[in-house]
Parts: sequence; structure tokens; C-alpha cells
Amino acid sequence: MKKILISTALCLAVFTGANAQANKIKFEQFKLDNGLNVILHQDKSTPIVAVTVLYHVGSKNEDPNRTGFAHFFEHLLFEGSENIGRGEYMKMVSSNGGILNANTSFDRTFYFEILPSNQLELGLWMEAERMLHAKIDETGVETQREVVKEEYRQSFENRPYGSFLMEMFGRAFEEHPYQWVPIGSLEHLNQAKIEEFRDFYKTWYVPNNATLSIAGDFDIKQAKQWINKYFSEIPKGTKKIERPTIVEPEKKKEIRDTVYDNVQLPAVMMGYHTPAQGTPDAYAVEMLAQILSQGNSSRLQKSIVDEQQKALFVGAFPFPTEDPGLSLMFGIANMGVAINDLEVAIDKEVEKVQNELISEEEFQKMKNQIESDMVSKNAKVEGIAENLANYHVYYGDANLINTEIDRYMKVTREDLKRVANKYFRKDNRVVLHYLPKEK
Amino acid sequence: MKKLSIYILSLTMITGAFAQKLDRSKVPAPAPAPKINLSQPATFTLPNGLKVFVVENHKLPKVAFSLSLDVDPVLEGDMKGYVDITGQLLERGTTNRTKQQLDEEIDFIGATLSTSANGVYASSLKKHQAKILEILSDVVLNSDFKQEELDKLKKQTISGIASSKDDPDAIAANVRSVLIYGKKHPYGEITTEETVENVTLEACKNYYKTYFRPNVSYLAVVGDVSVKEIQPLIEKYFAAWEKADVPVNKYKMPAAPKQTEVAFVHKEGASQSVINITYPVNLKKSNPDVVKTRILNSILGGSATARLFMNLREKHGYTYGAYSTLSADELVGYFNANAKVRNDVTDSALTQFMVELNRIADEKVTADELQGMKNYASGIFAYTLQDPQTIARFAIETEKYKLPADYYATYMEQIAAVTVDDVKEMAEKYITPNNAIILVVGNKKIADKLTEFDADQKISYYDIYGNDYVEALKPAPEGVTAETVMNKYIEAKYGVAKGKALDKKLKKIKDITVRMDASIQGQSINVTRYQKAPNKFANAITMGTMVIQKQTFNGTTGKSSGMQGNEDITGDDLEDLKFSSVMFLDAKYTDHGITYELLGVEPINGEDAYKMVQTKPNGETETEWFNVASGLKVKSMSVQENDKMPEPITVVTELSDYKEVNGIMFAHKTKQVFGPQTLDMTVTAVEINTKLGDEVFE
Repeated sequence: MKKILISTALCLAVFTGANAQANKIKFEQFKLDNGLNVILHQDKSTPIVAVTVLYHVGSKNEDPNRTGFAHFFEHLLFEGSENIGRGEYMKMVSSNGGILNANTSFDRTFYFEILPSNQLELGLWMEAERMLHAKIDETGVETQREVVKEEYRQSFENRPYGSFLMEMFGRAFEEHPYQWVPIGSLEHLNQAKIEEFRDFYKTWYVPNNATLSIAGDFDIKQAKQWINKYFSEIPKGTKKIERPTIVEPEKKKEIRDTVYDNVQLPAVMMGYHTPAQGTPDAYAVEMLAQILSQGNSSRLQKSIVDEQQKALFVGAFPFPTEDPGLSLMFGIANMGVAINDLEVAIDKEVEKVQNELISEEEFQKMKNQIESDMVSKNAKVEGIAENLANYHVYYGDANLINTEIDRYMKVTREDLKRVANKYFRKDNRVVLHYLPKEK
Repeated sequence: MKKLSIYILSLTMITGAFAQKLDRSKVPAPAPAPKINLSQPATFTLPNGLKVFVVENHKLPKVAFSLSLDVDPVLEGDMKGYVDITGQLLERGTTNRTKQQLDEEIDFIGATLSTSANGVYASSLKKHQAKILEILSDVVLNSDFKQEELDKLKKQTISGIASSKDDPDAIAANVRSVLIYGKKHPYGEITTEETVENVTLEACKNYYKTYFRPNVSYLAVVGDVSVKEIQPLIEKYFAAWEKADVPVNKYKMPAAPKQTEVAFVHKEGASQSVINITYPVNLKKSNPDVVKTRILNSILGGSATARLFMNLREKHGYTYGAYSTLSADELVGYFNANAKVRNDVTDSALTQFMVELNRIADEKVTADELQGMKNYASGIFAYTLQDPQTIARFAIETEKYKLPADYYATYMEQIAAVTVDDVKEMAEKYITPNNAIILVVGNKKIADKLTEFDADQKISYYDIYGNDYVEALKPAPEGVTAETVMNKYIEAKYGVAKGKALDKKLKKIKDITVRMDASIQGQSINVTRYQKAPNKFANAITMGTMVIQKQTFNGTTGKSSGMQGNEDITGDDLEDLKFSSVMFLDAKYTDHGITYELLGVEPINGEDAYKMVQTKPNGETETEWFNVASGLKVKSMSVQENDKMPEPITVVTELSDYKEVNGIMFAHKTKQVFGPQTLDMTVTAVEINTKLGDEVFE
């Protein structure tokens, strides 16, 4: 009986490997003399092209007295450039049939345009404008300050539990710059002088800190010519790029606090210090979160939401970051359930993975889910462009888009139990209770 | 010689190439426009009427099945929410599988399956397609409605409603639907705790049996499949699904308001106003205006480059985003322009909204602006084609809404044909700021500034469910005054009416000790309050044997001691303490210069109470509520300031569970809320005349 089970699992694993191979994503990669990394992936199935630029700068690269800069730039750099008028950037893309957006994390800022395939040159020209000579002046700074303030109100003040990440990271990190979140401090933005913005731009928005990743329907030879035309003469940055080296000291004591917010239902949030993304343990931590909360049959869902009905919502979220970060859990109590009860129920599920090896079957389920997720991740050209850039910047290997799955598959059941004990310790976490503010 | 010249020549060429700096002011011209080939899905129909569309796309080894119903909405009345719940119940067990089995089997193959009142969606890797299709059919054909699962869902839904009560967007969405469609229209019904409580299993089962029928369903199959391989599987799993007549429901078309109205929902503590300018629109999907109205809306507010965004965010910085929607719908569509803006610019933002809504109908858009938006619309159309689901959706919509067969195939041409005059005509027809509802969810402090936007200069207030907001305070009945309320209170509390007999009764009481158990932030503490005639007072808070805080007044001097150190109470604080330490102050209020004013009657915890404002001789006020029936004080509220606190805090005290001790009624339960903290106190003992020594008060 046992033998059959093992061989079935083996077959599945072999099949998995074969399948991932069959859908390999092909790409080309090269570097310009000024240090700009370029990645190209061709996919002619729809006549669109995604032009993306990843700048390796996020909130962790900010001066502690000037937090919010990286995210502020994500706004500021749509203001225009020497050859693009104020407010024209977005319009130029949309009126040429494209969409655009950008986002900022702790570790990087990402810009993208998705254009009809005949507008690739436009996209390259525009990104070169942004990299070479974006418009950074008082007017733009003023306008975007107001916009960012509204974003702050909308996303953090007026949204129930919206301040969660801020409250969590603020307590979890004392030394490392992950202690503030990308939205940063409005006060710092108000205090900042125009020279400081210009200096930030010259330091971080340079070709040697950027990755241009293009995916979609285009001619590779033509694309290379245009890339050369628009990007090769952008000068390499001259300012020193320093990245934080601070290591957050190991935690020895649980941090526990209560946040009163405009919420109706109490919630509990936990943040466990976990290793940096890409490390072998980080994959195990991610899979642990998956056992706990991916799918209706996952442990937290099944036990706490469905059987015990203690939570309206509960989930475990690995929060991958370039430096060691946090793995998060979040539960909103059902009406009438005390928040302590919910916390104890979540802890019990964590204890189970600490004490008992997960079954072969559950382990196989997890691998099947990962296989499916890895396929879905590359459904759209913009996703492929972003994934390629991320893999290159974070791990120096864009081909992980094809091979990262192997890293997951290396994780064993014993690893899961081990990381559960190593990182999901009470003295290694922050626990927050969100309680309704009395009116 | 020759060699050299070539050398020189090549040198000049190189320098030339370097010197000739790129002219970046030139915006690159587009290459020739790409051709878009819209593939037609293969279709077939089962004998039971189920229409199947198959879109082959072999890019990823995945397949997705999406089953959708084409049925009219139903009025759900006092069980509003049951149709959605039916949709969620579908995936909670079949006659063949329990919920746990379903969940396990779906998760095991890394697939997803989700159900709703409108259909079921499932996807998996290609290698699991037969398995997921079999599960999908089990859910659709054999769903097994269990009371136990309904109860769980009800509990979750009710908790969800509770958690969204504070969400200004959820409030705005609810109230908007009521105001646009009215509560008697299926789009205007709101799910509340009460309506969910009313949902019965019978209603859910009935909906499932009536509406989940193959003859009103479409099944789209998209992905790495061929018709040849999938048709036999579909026949195998769906042939047993029985067809039946499905009811057709018709509704009256809601009308736009005759003139513009401002509707306001107050949200305590809001830092932003959620603005919606909205009204119903009669625009069916098959209406030839639809493509033109899409262009119109994309110029007005369809994106982050449209007029509303450029004006309210980029020019004025009022908001993070301002958009508009003009939706076509078979029953009734709507227009909505919306933004969230900070409190103090709510009126300015509304002014700008109105400017833009008027301008688009009054003035022609420029040819450039139109061309840009046409390009954008075409670009988005191409972009959505990346998702193979789009092809399936197009085919189903063509069928469902009876669109011309080549509607989507010629979509880009229809966009290209829209003219400047078309846009103006559409704006005149569909953008009607003078017949709109301006709904603002925000802080009522700013509401007065919005009066000018209402045609009658009168703002209507609503609660979070779109009911008329009724000011809770009613006038007190004829003959009731502050004095009669206080007399009744004194008699109720002390058992004797104000006068000599009462004085005599109170004189006999020399001291009172009240012992209480309390909890604050999950910690248990004990509170003991001592009083001795005529005006000695002490209050001790202890945890176990540890004294956390003690406050005393011996008739002349006051002290506070405890964990935060010892301190003499002086100045105004001492005066306050002296005043409030008088035993039976409430019975003798007139002697001590306390006055009351009666404001009216309002419910406290469901029972009518007189609302009174007490003013002390030093001018400080406190609001108090006295139960109309019992006469006893049930609540008080005061705003307290202290140098140590950054801002004044409101202290609310609720009194309940009155019990008689020695002929006097004492509230045995007290709940005190100050700032974010709540202190619950329960009286464990009231001791009278225990000969308390003076040392207690030192």
C-alpha cells in the first residue's frame, strides 16, 4: 500500500518537472555601457507590448528623516520631462492607446506602459525621458504632495485596518529601515526642499540602477536599435549608491499592542520575523503560509473560519522582501468572538505545524498548488516583464522565471516543521489587536 | 595615402555619429497599426439547452470553465441577501461530496472553483480538466443545501455587514442604490443584519431549483483544449441537467430626480468626503448609443487622463482620483461621478465636478481630445483580448443581449466612426447635472457648505441604509419640566419625595461604602468608593493587594496617591473635589447652585429618557438622561479637560441594574467610556453606616 502511494507521488513530481519545462519562457538579456539592464521577451499572440522599468530603490533606501521619498517619486515622475509637458505623460500614453501605472515597495519602484504593439518606440522614448531629464520643480512637487496626502487619507486613515502594515512594521523593526512603510511621513515630504528631490533623482534614477524589461509583440532587432537610440547616451550615475547594511537584531521578546481604529470588528495581526526572499528558508516559510491559508481546505480556513466560526476572515501572508522581513497573519473576528479567542485558535494551528509533520498528501496538494500558481503568474505580458525584472534585480538570474519552482520543490516536510519552530516563535513576533474606537 | 584617407574618413564618421545628438523633442511616430483578428469561438448546444462556447488558446497549459446564468433579478424583500447566499451555498456540499471533500479535492489539484448567484467559475491545469469539470457539474447539478451551512454563512454575512458599517465606500454604495433605484427595485434593495437573519433554507433551495437551469445558461470553455476533446466530457457531465421554465421578471424604470438634490450621510470622525453624483440612465446594451457613450465617458471621467481626473487631482490636488461611470444595463443603467476629497474642499470639489459635467454638454470636445480617447478605447480593446476569457465573453454577450453578430468584430470601426458632434449629442442626452443626486458621505460639520448645490437649498440627511435620518430628540410632553424630572428622580432614587421626610431619611446615613469589581482592557481591578457625611470622600483602585490609585478628600484638603506618586490636590481641582464630595448632592442640588435644563426625550438603549443639561455654579456642564418610566438616571456625558491630556476627552457613563439598599436605589452596573477605553464596573456590596474612621479620608 505504502509503496504505491510513494510511487504515485514520484510520478506526479516527475510529471511536474516535465510540464514546467514545456512552457519555458524565452528571453534575451543584455547590458548597455551605462549599466542599464535590458530584458526582452517576445510573445506575438496579442498585438500589445509592455514596456517596464524597474528602479532598484524603495522606502528602505530613504533617509530616516525623509521617509516617503521613493513613493513620492512614483508620483512626481509622471509630471513630465524636458520634452513632455506637465500632466502630459499619462495623456500621451492613453491617447496613443496605452495604459500605464507604477508602484513602490520597500525595495523597488516599478513603472510600466502597455501599448499597442506599433507604439513601442513611443514607450521607449517616454521611459528614456523619465530616466534622462524628468521635470522636478516646485509646481510638480506641490501638486503631488496634495495627491499623496489624499492617498494617505484614502488608504490609511479612512480604510478600516488600513494602517495595519504601518503599525506592524513600525513595531517590528527598530534598526532596519523597514520600520517605515513606503507611504512614509507627510511631514517629511512637507519639509523636503527641491534640491533634496533633485538629489534623490540623480542618485537613484540612473541607468546603472535600472532594468528595462519589455514583453509582447515586437521585432527584437528593431527593439534593440531603438533601445540603443534612446537609452545608450543617458549618462551613468555619478553619485554613490549605498544600500542599507543594518541587520535587525534578533528578537527575544514578543511585542504586543492594541490599536484603536474606526473598525466594527476586532482583528488580530501577527508578524513573525522571517528570512529574506530567495533564501531556502524563505521558500519553506512561504509554503507554510500556504498550508495555513491557501484554499478552503487550508488549515486556518477549515478550522477557524468554517468549523469553529471564530473568524470572518483569516489568512497567512508571506511578505517577501529583499532584506529579512516579516511573515504576516491577519484575522478578523466574527461578531461576538473575543479577540483573544481568535488569537489562541490561530496559535493552535501554528503549534500543530510545529509539532507534527504534515502528511504526504497535504504536502502533495501544496506542490500541485504551487505548480498551478507558477503557470498563472505568467498569464499576461506585463506580468512576465515584471517577473523577469524582479528575478534579475533581486537574484541576478532572470531565468528563475522558469526554474524557481525547483527551489520550492526542494523544500521537504521536515523543512516545514523546522521553519515553523525556528521562526514562528512567540518571542519572535509582534501581535496587534485592532479594536473599535469608541464613539 | 589611401589607407590614411579611409582612416580619416572612418574617424569623421564616428565623431559625426557621436556629435549628432539625438533630437529628443521629436515624439516617435507609431508604426503601422497592427491587425486584430478576433477569433470566433466554436459553439454547440446540448439537448437540454445548455449553450457551450469553446475558445482555444494554447499559450498556457490551463483551462477555465465559466458557467453563467441569463436570468432576471428577483425582488428579495425582507430576505434580501438570500440570492447571494444561494450562490455561496452552491459550493458547500453536494449529494455526493461534503463541503470538506469538495474543498480537499479542488485544492489537491491546485484548482479554483467559485460559485455565485450568477454562475460558477472553475479553472485548473489542463491535466486536471476532466476532474475539475466533473466537480463543477456536481456542484451545479447536485448542490445539497444544508441548514448548518446556511447558518454559518448567515453568521459570516452578518459579521461582514458589521465590519462594512464603518466603510464609507460601502455606505455610499448602499445609499446610492437606494437613492437611484428606490427600495422597491431589485437594484435598490439593501442587505442588512435583519434581512440576512430572515433568510430561510427554503428560499435558497427554491431559487436554485427555479433559476439554475441549462436552458438559461452559457458555459464558456477557454484555454488549452479542443472542441473534439472537451465536447464528450461536457456531454457526459451535463446531459443529466434537466431543463425547466424559468420565470421572467419585469420592473418599472426608475426615474431621475426632477431637480438636483443633495443627500448627506454623516460619518463620525471622517477625514474625507465620499462624493457620488449619480442618477439612473435608460441605456440597454443593445442601444446603438453605447459605443458613443463609452467614448463620451472616457473623455469625461473614464480614466486617469480624463477631464475629471485632470481637473480635480492634477490641477487642484483635491483628491487621489476622480472618475465617472456611465453604465449600460438591461434593466436600468446609471451614471456616477465620484471622488473622495478632504473635508475642507468638499464644496470646491463639487463646484469643479459641476463645471466639468456642464462643460461636456455645453461645448464640443476638440478633435484632438476625441482622437486621443478613440485611440485609448481601441488600445484597451486590444489589451483585453490578451485574456482569452474576453473572446468567450464577447460571444456570450452577443447572444445574451442580442447584439448584431459582428458587433465585436467591428468594434474598432465603430469607435473610429464616433464624431465630435456625436459626443456632444450623447452628453446632452446622458449627462444631466441638473437632474442628479449629489450624495456625500462625510462629516456633517461640512454639510452646510453644500446647500447651494441643492435646487431647493435643502440637504436631505440619510442613515447608512438610505433611510431618512430622523433627529432622535423629541420634545418633552406638556407639563414636564426640568424640575418635575428631578423631583421624580429624587423620589425614585431615595424612595421619598423632596422635603422634610427626605432630609430626615438622609440624615440618618453617616457613611456609605460601595465596592465594585471592574475590568479595563482585560485587566481585573477593584474599585471602592467611601463617603462620609457631610463631605468626606475617598476612592481607591486596587489590583490584588496593590493600590493603583487612591484619591481622598477629608473635608478640607485633597490628595492623590498611588503608582504615579503622591500629590496634593490644589486649585480648581480641589474646588471641584470639594463640591462633588458633598453626600447626596443630587438630592440637594438646588441648595448648591446646580441648575438643570430639559432638552427633550430620546431613546437610550431602546427606552425613552429625558435629556437634561446640568450646569454647576462654576459654569461646567454635563448632559444627563433620566428614564421616563423609572425616573432614574441612566446615562451622563461630559467633556473633560486636563493639562496632561493632548485634547479634551468625552466621558460617557451608563448606569443600569438599579437595586435597593437601605431604602435607596443604587445602580449596580456602571459602564464608563473615556477616549478609547471602557471601564465596566459591577457593584459587589453597598455598606451603610459601618462607622468609617476619618483616617480613610486622609
